[in-house]
Amino acid sequence: MTAWPLAGLGAMLVLAPLLPGVAAKTRATLTGRRGAPVWQLYRDLRRLWRKGAVYSTTTTWIFRLAPVAGVATPMLAVLLVPLDGQAALLRFAGDFVAFAALLALGRFTLVLAALDTGSSFEGMGASRDAGFASLVEPALFLGFVVLALGTGQSSLSGMLGGETGSSLSWGAGAPSLAMVAVSLFFVLLAEASRVPVDDPATHLELTMIHEVAVLDHSGPDLALLLYGGALRMGLFAALPVVVLVSRAGLTAPLALGAVLVGTVAVAVAVGVIEASMARLRLSRVPQFLVAASVLASLGVILQLLA
Amino acid sequence: MTLFFLALAALAAAGLSAAVLRRRPAVADRVFALLVGAGCVVGAVPAVRVLAGAPAMSGGGGTWLFGIDLLSAAFVLVVLGPGLASAWYGMRALGAERDHRPVSAARALIALELVALALVVTARGVVPFLVAWEVMAVLAYFLVIFEHERAEVRRAGLVYLVATHAGTLALIALFAFWAGPTGGLSFDALAARAAALPAGGALVLWLALLGFGLKAGIVPLHFWLPDAHASAPSHVSALMSGVVIKMGIYGLLRVVTLLAAPPAWWGWLVLSLGIVSGVLGVLWALAQHDLKRLLAYHSVENVGIILMGLGAGALGITYRIPLVAALGFGGAILHTLNHALFKSLLFLGAGATYHATGTRALDRLGGLARRMPLTWVAFLVGSAAIVGLPPLNGFVSEWLVYQALLGGGTSTGPIRLTLVGVAGLALVGGLALACFAKVCGIVFLGKARSGDAARGHEPSPGLLGPMFGLAAGCALIGIAPAFAVRPALAVGAGIARVPMSVAGQSDVLGALTPIALLSLGLLALLGIGSVAMAAVRRRRPVAEADTWGCGYAIPSARMQYTASSFAASLLATYGPLTGLHEEKTPAAFHSHPRELVLDGVILPAWERVRGALWRLRPIQQGRLWVYLLYIIAVLVLLLLYIGVAGGAAGAPP
Repeated sequence: MTAWPLAGLGAMLVLAPLLPGVAAKTRATLTGRRGAPVWQLYRDLRRLWRKGAVYSTTTTWIFRLAPVAGVATPMLAVLLVPLDGQAALLRFAGDFVAFAALLALGRFTLVLAALDTGSSFEGMGASRDAGFASLVEPALFLGFVVLALGTGQSSLSGMLGGETGSSLSWGAGAPSLAMVAVSLFFVLLAEASRVPVDDPATHLELTMIHEVAVLDHSGPDLALLLYGGALRMGLFAALPVVVLVSRAGLTAPLALGAVLVGTVAVAVAVGVIEASMARLRLSRVPQFLVAASVLASLGVILQLLA
Repeated sequence: MTLFFLALAALAAAGLSAAVLRRRPAVADRVFALLVGAGCVVGAVPAVRVLAGAPAMSGGGGTWLFGIDLLSAAFVLVVLGPGLASAWYGMRALGAERDHRPVSAARALIALELVALALVVTARGVVPFLVAWEVMAVLAYFLVIFEHERAEVRRAGLVYLVATHAGTLALIALFAFWAGPTGGLSFDALAARAAALPAGGALVLWLALLGFGLKAGIVPLHFWLPDAHASAPSHVSALMSGVVIKMGIYGLLRVVTLLAAPPAWWGWLVLSLGIVSGVLGVLWALAQHDLKRLLAYHSVENVGIILMGLGAGALGITYRIPLVAALGFGGAILHTLNHALFKSLLFLGAGATYHATGTRALDRLGGLARRMPLTWVAFLVGSAAIVGLPPLNGFVSEWLVYQALLGGGTSTGPIRLTLVGVAGLALVGGLALACFAKVCGIVFLGKARSGDAARGHEPSPGLLGPMFGLAAGCALIGIAPAFAVRPALAVGAGIARVPMSVAGQSDVLGALTPIALLSLGLLALLGIGSVAMAAVRRRRPVAEADTWGCGYAIPSARMQYTASSFAASLLATYGPLTGLHEEKTPAAFHSHPRELVLDGVILPAWERVRGALWRLRPIQQGRLWVYLLYIIAVLVLLLLYIGVAGGAAGAPP
């Protein structure tokens, strides 16, 4: 029974670096450029992994721990998501709290690593990262609340997996499902540091968020951070897809395939957004994130009225 | 129960020994350590037995009745575990100041404070409860003003004293009203009278929120807390923040058990107060520039989280959903214990940095991870725990509170609105992460921002011991949650008066093994990953250089991000709620956090009252004949009154 969840885990671990490439390629195509191939990140990872590294004399062990935690935490979080639309490898009551807390741990170590360098640029990135993340958290939890209300379950496998609850099937649940999906998409844009929250292609440290927080990491450490970031993006891109796919009542292999295709489609959507709009002014970003929470809250209200 | 009394006697003897042996410090150290250690360990034994399923016990007699039921047992552990760590740390830390301070008195006070705390949570009648409560409050006052030569310490002590006595007044009114003119004063008698209270005990519940809320530091009754906790010596701050404020939580829970069924409005009020305290507490913490004040505001935040659990539990009783009640109270109990562990740890860590550097100003610190590596590890464990990150204890109790709030939400009826708490708790969690990233990053990482920070050095093993003991507690509950969650749920079920099997029927207990697996898996992945990366780094050319400064050639430590700059953009989102006061001149920028309730409301209001009273001053002339005249005038008025109203109904025949 665990074959398909394992396949899902494997696919996520192997294919995640494709997603930033797909987004970048979409953006390049739409803005009239040829762009790097979609597997560019694999090349970057290989190149960085073979390189040496430079460590700042200011840094301590936490700087070296952050890349490891940056990969370990999303890896464990993948275990909790039912990528095959049925049940995840690890599931328990309230595991959505663990999902959020694991990713928070990754962020905590990353922010500490940024402050470890003593650079004002990285402090800036760390401050923005932590500040915006605090607004993402309510949106994420409210999204889970909608699913929990609809299904009466409190584990991700129950909320997203096979046994669809009464009011959260297609039809009656469609409005709140759509709101959750959009809200989770906003969360993805923030968590994966994409436009309009952050711009991965920007070149000025002063305007960066995530990129500047990892400014001093190099070589294998940077490779791990990039891979962890891709995993994070894969995780949050898969969430809204799983929300929608799991309601279709597909069998495990089909559902897994649909989730993977959908995840790539979400990456294309990210690229479309990047091509069509600019990054928001930093003081506007909180409004964008609050909007995600408001959308999810509307979903909650709809569920409560249902 | 005899064992428990013996343990308390040992603690009291420890206090006495500190006073008696003050001229022989070497002997005093050993005797004090032995007696405090033995007292705390032995005193915990009956509590653990009760939590493990032994029947509740009681001892003493008549008015002075004491007992340990499930609720008392949980709080006995809260008192004696972190209490031992604080007392031990205090014993070591104070030893160095023996020449110029009354160290033995401070030691005696802390041992007696532990006795008073243990008696508060085991009292079974109004009289012993209030006596122990008042002794606890007054001893805490003397502990806080240890460094009384500083004006701000005396002010903090005074504000604390006024606040705690206002609270005690509310408690006396509470119990007087509850017991009535003729009723018995034991808790059993109160419980029997609960049904007869007018309006479902509304007055009792309001007074409980006022009296116990002042102790627990619920917003807006928290105003005394930041000053008092920041001004006290660090081990006292640890005891105050970790244990003493929890007596307010104990009081609220005890009132709920005696009342049996709180009305709906009270549950909603407690839940709302929890959300408000949680969010405002962490926002105010983010705005602080002083390490210990920041930690004190985090106590307000965590009391908010505890209240969210408590409110959910009360609503579970009201709306007859036993599982939510057990989960809510259980979450509140476990978070109380967890907060006692990690907040004591953080205050002890803050004390070590203060001792080493002589400053609590965040923006003067930095780079202490290199100079105090072990303190840093302990502090980091406490920080990750308070933020609620796996694999530590804060995650487990927040998970329980989430379960309670969500359990209410997925039920039917008005209780579904507990979902608001989920969003509140999520926001609190996110902000707490930002705040502790700031504390850890600014205090321990980067470069020293001043000469003070450059003087940092590791404290002695005697001071590190208590910190690592507390850190081990945090890790243990995170890695093996079953040992803590089951007893906490048993206590919660006891308060809610539902059988423990209610919790067993849910899938909450089934989640404990996966959580343990997740924690262990996380530790394993981090360990293996770190070892593997170390091996990879050995094979690659690795260089060391200065931090990348975008080409700037002469970087200085003053160019680093500071605590204020780290929090600035985040706080800007919340505007005036943060209480941050900014002064800008062409040459300088200065910001300092105001205490919105104390500085913004209470002190201005008090100034007005004082201004009004000032007008009465002319009647105080300070001359004898004036006062004689007053007395004669009053006598004449009384005589006139009796003469006029003499035939009225009230007059004696």
